[in-house]
Amino acid sequence: MLFNSYTFIVFFIVVLILHNLPFSWKTKKINLLLASYIFYAVWNPPFILLLWLSTIVDYFVGKALYKQENKYKKKLFLVVSLIGNLGMLCFFKYGGFILENFTHLVNALGANFHPAKPNIILPAGISFYTFTTLCYTIDMYKKESKPVESLLDFSLFVTFFPHLVAGPIVRPPQLVPQFATPRKANAQQLTQGLFLLSLGLFMKVFLADGMLSGPANTVFGAEDPLKTIDAWAGVLAFSGQIFFDFAGYSSCAIGAALCLGFVLPQNFLFPYAAIGFTDFWRRWHITLSSWLRDYLYIPLGGNRHGTFKTYRNLMITMLLGGLWHGANWTFVVWGALHGLYLWFEKAYRDMRKVKAVNIFPEINKKMVEGAFPVEMGHPKSLSNFLLAMGTFFLVNVTWVFFRSPNFGAAWQMLHSMFVQIPKSTAVLSYLEIIEVSTIMLALVIAHWLMRNTMVLKVAEKMPWWLLGLVWSGMLILIALSQNASSSFIYFQF
Amino acid sequence: MQPTNLIRAGRLALFLTLIALISWEIFLRHKNITISYDDNEALFADKMAMIYGPSEQETVFIGSSRIKYDLDIPTWEALTGQKAIQLANVGSSPRPVLEALANDPQFKGNLIVDVTEPLFFSPGALYDGSTRKKIAYFKNRTPTQRFSFQVNHVLESQLVFLDQDNFSVTAMLENAQLLPPREGVFPGLYFPRQFGQVSFDRQTYMTPEFVIDTNLQVQVRKVWARGIARRGDPLPADKMNAIFNSVKRDVDKIKARGGRVVFVRTPSSGPFREAEAKGFPRNAFWDRLLTLTGCPGIHFTDYPATANFICPEWSHLKPTDAVLFTQSLVKILREEKGWTFPVKPEKS
Repeated sequence: MLFNSYTFIVFFIVVLILHNLPFSWKTKKINLLLASYIFYAVWNPPFILLLWLSTIVDYFVGKALYKQENKYKKKLFLVVSLIGNLGMLCFFKYGGFILENFTHLVNALGANFHPAKPNIILPAGISFYTFTTLCYTIDMYKKESKPVESLLDFSLFVTFFPHLVAGPIVRPPQLVPQFATPRKANAQQLTQGLFLLSLGLFMKVFLADGMLSGPANTVFGAEDPLKTIDAWAGVLAFSGQIFFDFAGYSSCAIGAALCLGFVLPQNFLFPYAAIGFTDFWRRWHITLSSWLRDYLYIPLGGNRHGTFKTYRNLMITMLLGGLWHGANWTFVVWGALHGLYLWFEKAYRDMRKVKAVNIFPEINKKMVEGAFPVEMGHPKSLSNFLLAMGTFFLVNVTWVFFRSPNFGAAWQMLHSMFVQIPKSTAVLSYLEIIEVSTIMLALVIAHWLMRNTMVLKVAEKMPWWLLGLVWSGMLILIALSQNASSSFIYFQF
Repeated sequence: MQPTNLIRAGRLALFLTLIALISWEIFLRHKNITISYDDNEALFADKMAMIYGPSEQETVFIGSSRIKYDLDIPTWEALTGQKAIQLANVGSSPRPVLEALANDPQFKGNLIVDVTEPLFFSPGALYDGSTRKKIAYFKNRTPTQRFSFQVNHVLESQLVFLDQDNFSVTAMLENAQLLPPREGVFPGLYFPRQFGQVSFDRQTYMTPEFVIDTNLQVQVRKVWARGIARRGDPLPADKMNAIFNSVKRDVDKIKARGGRVVFVRTPSSGPFREAEAKGFPRNAFWDRLLTLTGCPGIHFTDYPATANFICPEWSHLKPTDAVLFTQSLVKILREEKGWTFPVKPEKS
């Protein structure tokens, strides 16, 4: 089910009513679990079986892992869980990609191998819930938290509908304790939740789908070399589209959970005002980058084994992070570019002996509760602004690989962006160029002005009448956008 | 307890939003604008799901925009007692839908194919891609999309402003044409709102205002004139043969399952008619199509009752003429093509 659908509005009203009726806490949790299964099943009912399988396997394997003292048996349980989770992910998400590359390889070696193209449908949200369950079993293996006692609580942790299909990727300690005692949103939380839902839908429906997806699709769908202004407008449009689409989804998810009295971690902190790539990855898809830090970068050795291994670990993390986004080498190159940028930044910091910072974010309790991480604050000076704009420029270059269907298209786009091509084509109207420029300028300014705070903090500081006007403007534009059914980009990841 | 800033703001936002949307709705109704449904993939899928009924109770129509204007569905249903399922698509060749029907073993019904030659025989009409997306949407519809469609239907049936083609923010910005067209960029097709209202059964019709306002008609004629002027070279013989063969293959599949197929050439007039006659001579296209497929055809010029319609903007019939055309179509099918319908004809 999509947040931007009429089905969700009806569904959410029913869930809110049920959650506020005088049922026992256990009944309310069962209601939420059933609602979450419905939320998932109305997209493609058979895939609910995968979700059940993943939940059941990890619940029991998690318990066994925690209790097991025998080192070998413990490893065996971990392998079972990893094979179960990653095997499912590999089959559905990377099956075609692996086969295609294998075919290329054996044909390059002289074999005449041409298998039929597999027609595998990617279950919605598999990348997200697989990471959610994986972190649980790995935590159990390392005894970093206690196993969830009740199957109901564990199922709800995995399946809780606000985060199920596109995150934020939650960890057991962030959500499971919230199921222990009855939770119901008070008027303030309910209003905060509705505000975040409105903001998220505004970002998705009006900005991402209504204003930016058209120019981005036109430019990235063009076959001929483009005029420089068209290429840049298209890349900026995609840059805005993917932010508004995904940050919009995260805002809806956090808002929906808040309306029910639950708190989910922040996923975006004004990333287009990031000063450098370390800062970018602490602001963009925060729950993924902190997951990669804890379950990939640190287990690989992090920065504990010398300079070479730190750089190596960084690159491996970014390459796999890229591949997580999609089964295509263009995503790997996108990750590699981010890895390279992080290398240069780290080298520069080491050379200048600038105080080391954690490359990937750690989501602490205060941050989950909505406090801005103080260590990420930078003074708003002109030099920092220029650095932020430099970072934004480089981020846009990486989006070319992320959005292009293949390397040929990506190179052509980069060529169009940086070289005046004599017989290039114009594809965007003046109106589209003005729309993209206005929205992106406003986005960058808003991110810069709000870079050291949180949305709800800003909202609460505004005069109520001004906030009311802004909120109303968003609602009116959502109603007048009428793009109520297009899918979120991150659903495909 | 004093409400917080956020709660007060929320109340104000709700109040202002309701006031703004109600005012907008009242304003549009005051301008005599009526309900028009979004002719999108969800509405198409809703109709396509109806094609599996008993063949004596329904007929499927495919084609381009002309059959959407020229077939008056209430007249058809009253005269025949059959449901008319409208699957034609604006600016698109009917071939993608024909192919989908041919490849659907469940479809065994009656099919009427509207032939607008420049689109029918185009290797890729402007909106063919959009038609293919509609077919894919039908095949992959999820339960949530079906439910959303039902909710949307209730709302769209009540609120004029929920007309995406005319009153969404993007449509209003584009239709306002505030900026000159950019050199080298396809300027888009801007039709006045009054030209195309859509009913829930996907019939398209001109508003009474359009029928009497020659300025509005001239706006549409200008769009057609641009299209006629842009027409490229004729398609090479091998590509045209491939189109004919694909149509024959698809028609044969439907007929093999017991389905019936009739081609209909709907009326056009003025320079549009002249350009079509010149670009697509009847013997080389229409006659060849009927001969190759072995299907009956109804060409509007062959019948006195349909030969002299004047299309206000050269390409589509006004609503009153659509009623007359539909009456003639039913009569020809019944008397000349041997079709029978649940409702028997009145004896004259």
